[in-house]
Amino acid sequence: MLEAEVLIQHYLEGRLTEDEAAELHRLLEARPELGEELLEQLQLDSMMRQAVKAMPRHQAPVILLPRRRFSFGALIGVAAAAAVLAIASTALWEQLTAPSAAEATTTSVAVLSRSANVIWEAGGAAPVAGAALSPGWLRIKSGLMQIEFYQGARVSVEGPAALELVSAGEAFFAAGKLSAHVPPQAKGFRINTKSGSIVDLGTEFALDVNDAGAEVHVFDGEVELHHERAAVQPLTTGQAMEFAPGSALQSASTNGFASLLAIDAESAAHQRVQFERWSSMSKRLNQDPSVLLHFDFQDSPGSRMLGNRAGEANSLPDASIVASQWTQGRWPGKQALEFRQLSDRVRVSVPGILSAFTLATRVRVDGLERAFNSLFMSEAWGERRVHWQITKEGIIRLGVAGGKDARHTDYDSMKFFTPERFGQWMLLAVVFDPVKGNVTHFANGESVGVETLTDKTPVNIGLAELGNWSDHAEPGRRVAIRHLSGAMEEFVLWNRALSADELAALVLP
Amino acid sequence: MMNPEDTQAAQVFLSHHEFVKAMALKYAPWPGLMEDITQQVFLEFMNKESRWDLSKDARPLLATMTRHVAMRLWRERTRQEPDKVQKLAEHIRQLAEERDRLPRYDEELGALRNCLQKLPEKSRELVELYYYNEIGTPEIAEQLSMKSDTVCRALSRVREKLRECIQKVIKEGGPAHA
Repeated sequence: MLEAEVLIQHYLEGRLTEDEAAELHRLLEARPELGEELLEQLQLDSMMRQAVKAMPRHQAPVILLPRRRFSFGALIGVAAAAAVLAIASTALWEQLTAPSAAEATTTSVAVLSRSANVIWEAGGAAPVAGAALSPGWLRIKSGLMQIEFYQGARVSVEGPAALELVSAGEAFFAAGKLSAHVPPQAKGFRINTKSGSIVDLGTEFALDVNDAGAEVHVFDGEVELHHERAAVQPLTTGQAMEFAPGSALQSASTNGFASLLAIDAESAAHQRVQFERWSSMSKRLNQDPSVLLHFDFQDSPGSRMLGNRAGEANSLPDASIVASQWTQGRWPGKQALEFRQLSDRVRVSVPGILSAFTLATRVRVDGLERAFNSLFMSEAWGERRVHWQITKEGIIRLGVAGGKDARHTDYDSMKFFTPERFGQWMLLAVVFDPVKGNVTHFANGESVGVETLTDKTPVNIGLAELGNWSDHAEPGRRVAIRHLSGAMEEFVLWNRALSADELAALVLP
Repeated sequence: MMNPEDTQAAQVFLSHHEFVKAMALKYAPWPGLMEDITQQVFLEFMNKESRWDLSKDARPLLATMTRHVAMRLWRERTRQEPDKVQKLAEHIRQLAEERDRLPRYDEELGALRNCLQKLPEKSRELVELYYYNEIGTPEIAEQLSMKSDTVCRALSRVREKLRECIQKVIKEGGPAHA
């Protein structure tokens, strides 16, 4: 008769004969330890099936047809009434669980390049500058925004307005004022309205859509107006026309579009206001006695130290910059440090223990190049050390080491970072709250994951790094590369758990 | 097209799907069934999305759903088998249910990925033929001019080695920290 490990393999492979099943059953009853071995093999077998999905393919010659071991039979149990949702959910499931080795894709067609004093309509999309935009509606109550379509057209919109992105070269404008600059590469860019369409032949024009109708003004070049029941009407430099069949030609005027045409100045003024708001907020933070570390990154140009601006009562030391270079932050005048190379890092020291804490950083993540991308990580790993990082899959993770002989725990956010979020400045925070008994991750003031605390013992951060990780390993031992790819412009450590409202108040639009 | 609530529910599920897999293994220890169970729980979770308070910890809910789905699919799957196989399956199911330890699936999977990179060439080839290309042990044996039982033993030992490696990685702090 076959030995146990062969029988277990036959069980895993689904090809046990009846006699083999009886023999394996007999062995399991006779040798209780064999049961554990079988379950371990089954668990590993299941994990292997998942792990190989992301494994780079080896060049082994394959001359045999693959066997089909799994069916989609589990779907049969779904009620017929839910069939449509099931199909959509199945598609989403496949999307969510696609192997990480698969090439990333995006549905985005444009980018929000600038915004000034924008107030978004409640319940709709509210992207920040730098956000990739997928087809869908953008509705603003007031303010100015500028969108760069991937085909090359640049469109500025003044609120109140409603614009639907259709593709990289097409949009539907329902209401508001719009100006468009269409370079030769974007010739054929099309804007549809309820009155008809404008096809741009390489030009600069403006459009005013309101309850009374639509009006087109051409400042440079030529456009075509397409009415549903009329011949195509060309408009050239200096001409304007109401968007209705039989309308007379008029002279183009910039009067109604002054704000749009001055978006550069408006945007610069808005950035100055935002910078001043941040400065005031930053100064208030320094007065908070629970702030242990506050790096505002506004140190002297060329400095290799980051000054800790937290109030004197706490007086934790300044941090030391290694390799990382200065760059501009979110606004002119705001400084940041870049993390691009494996040496880039900021060395920080946090002596003592913390029974509760909050970490926050204003950061721009440009990509997730490493398996683990550091935000703030204790050096090496050991009793109650802390690792705040982003996994390659886009999950924000707070890892806290166990105490002596205790296991560590990873507290994860939902999958937050997708390629569409790369390149945007955002406020990330994590709250370790032993009173509430949980760890909560925040992005731009909103919770993106809560996990129950498994161990409420205080943490001991010790030596740590912003944007990288060090392991005080013996010489010659290879150390995992975990540097951040992006930039950081502020970092704060509190010795208490901040509330969601407090964190929301730190978000700058 | 999914609406934002569906997407949020999907994200909530996704953040716990490794937990669901661990539960699936506990209640339905049948080869190849774990993925089907996880997928079915996902579909049922999404189907009833409007009933769930997504701001609360979803684990207790998912644990209950997974147990029900796992038991149902396990019964459907095993009742197609001959009597002796059914008795064996029931014995293994009881062993799994009595087991105290719920696998820390996500942590161990992360460690496994590290360990797979370290496999010797021959073991890696075997893993690729069996797991990646889904070729059965008799066919692998034929291709490699070996006995089928020898391939079974080799696969068993590869898994044992990987188990040891996983434990070592986790002892050193887990794949995310060590």
